[in-house]
Amino acid sequence: MSLRLGAMLPEVFRHLFKRPATVLYPFERNTVPRGLRGRPVMDPDKCIGCRMCERDCPAEAIEIKQESEATMPDGKVKKRYSMTLYLDRCAHCAQCEEICPAKPDKAVKLNEYFEEAAFDRGALKIVYK
Amino acid sequence: MSETFVLPVGPQHPALKEPTSFRFKVDGEYIIDADLRLGYNHRGMEKGCEARTYVQDIYLLERVCGICSNAHMTCFAQGVERLMGIEPPPRGLFIRCLMGELERIHSHLLWLGVAGHEIGFDTFFMYTWRDREVVMDLLEMVSGNRVNYGMQTFGGVRRDLDGTQIKTLLEGIAALKARTPYYLNLGATEPTMVARIKGVGLLPKQKAIELNTAGPTARASGVDFDVRKDDPYAGFGDLIPFTIVTDDGCDVLARVVVRAKEMMASYDIMEFILKNLPAGEIRTKAPRRVPEGETVSRVEAQRGECIHYIRANGTDKPDRVKVRAPTLANWPATLYMLRGAFLADIPIIMAAIDPCLSCTDRMAVISDCRGNEKVWDWETLRQHGIDFHRRRGIRP
Repeated sequence: MSLRLGAMLPEVFRHLFKRPATVLYPFERNTVPRGLRGRPVMDPDKCIGCRMCERDCPAEAIEIKQESEATMPDGKVKKRYSMTLYLDRCAHCAQCEEICPAKPDKAVKLNEYFEEAAFDRGALKIVYK
Repeated sequence: MSETFVLPVGPQHPALKEPTSFRFKVDGEYIIDADLRLGYNHRGMEKGCEARTYVQDIYLLERVCGICSNAHMTCFAQGVERLMGIEPPPRGLFIRCLMGELERIHSHLLWLGVAGHEIGFDTFFMYTWRDREVVMDLLEMVSGNRVNYGMQTFGGVRRDLDGTQIKTLLEGIAALKARTPYYLNLGATEPTMVARIKGVGLLPKQKAIELNTAGPTARASGVDFDVRKDDPYAGFGDLIPFTIVTDDGCDVLARVVVRAKEMMASYDIMEFILKNLPAGEIRTKAPRRVPEGETVSRVEAQRGECIHYIRANGTDKPDRVKVRAPTLANWPATLYMLRGAFLADIPIIMAAIDPCLSCTDRMAVISDCRGNEKVWDWETLRQHGIDFHRRRGIRP
């Protein structure tokens, strides 16, 4: 293959007439794909209190606490749990969602929200109850 | 009479944005001798693995490296699967290979850009990184994240592919396949680039074998070793065809050529995987406790052979995990390449092995000048880290 000076120039000139490859975030946004691993969200109505998410979380970002205990008219004991999520530690691995055994719907799920930056660390402590 | 002196390079910013320290003995512009000091970026990950369960470890080990994250995850997962005595279903193995190849494309495009940047060819850097976005978007679509894909697990993979995703993947691969020969031709025909990388960082085949080099560095010196072929894992071997890429140039130009051709080989692998994806389950159920035993797992990461040693003691936590990242294998060869080179070639020779320093750094025993040795356990190490930052006014 012979050497050719300015081999890149045709490509460079072609790009003068193309639109930019980048977008002007935050004024313009790319759409995120379906199934993006964003923020974990817990639904206390569905939680069965097995603490599997707390046990498996590799970042130790989840705390499950029992909030209340009530005896139902049919004699069954209904317990309600809360989840404290330390989002500053969360690695967004989705292991909590994967391991959650609640049926028919999982109690912990990751949404597609990705703009997690905050000035205050306290804002990243989220309690679901 | 010539005078030599020692020139320290690093540990801050020794050409790449990671810490390592070199001592170069130089005579004018020539490097007479080179020495290397590692250990600035020890993170205690191997020790950390012993304090966590296998499920937690898989995510910790994924974070050994930001670029080879899938390779480390695959390596650990398949080692533990061997100890558990389980085998992922064919569809799981195919998707496992697909992730490895997608990651290889992203890493090689990243490296091409970095190599361009190191020799002052920033236009090349911009174009390769723009094309890298195509594969990053594909990875994000498949796994839900741009880096640290979290796709591998014990017994298979965590996410399946649907018809739309397969179509988008094939389109993305076709676009990259059309684009890659351009970079290959450019590397071989642009006179400024050729003049800068041809004959630089020479590593003869015999030396490459003697110094145990791995990955594209070895293959660019004519050593036809690739774990995918020599010790097939996941779907490689019987299920997925694969051709090994080598070059006899032995210099940085050969490393550019090998990586560009490897990308072309990866496109073929991925197209085969997507067109022949078997139906069925993507994972089998894995137990939480791992039976007693030990194993060595090998994976061909983008930078070379990645080795994990795992020893299980019958509980849900490993007894010992040892990670050998490919960069460690390539350091002795880098020192050989640097000897006799020009001072100005240090960045590109170093960058040519695609080093990842934090993956490589290990430290278990700290000895002071009096010869006292102390083994740090996980808690002490963690407390030391907290105190270290608190003394500098950083709130832990």
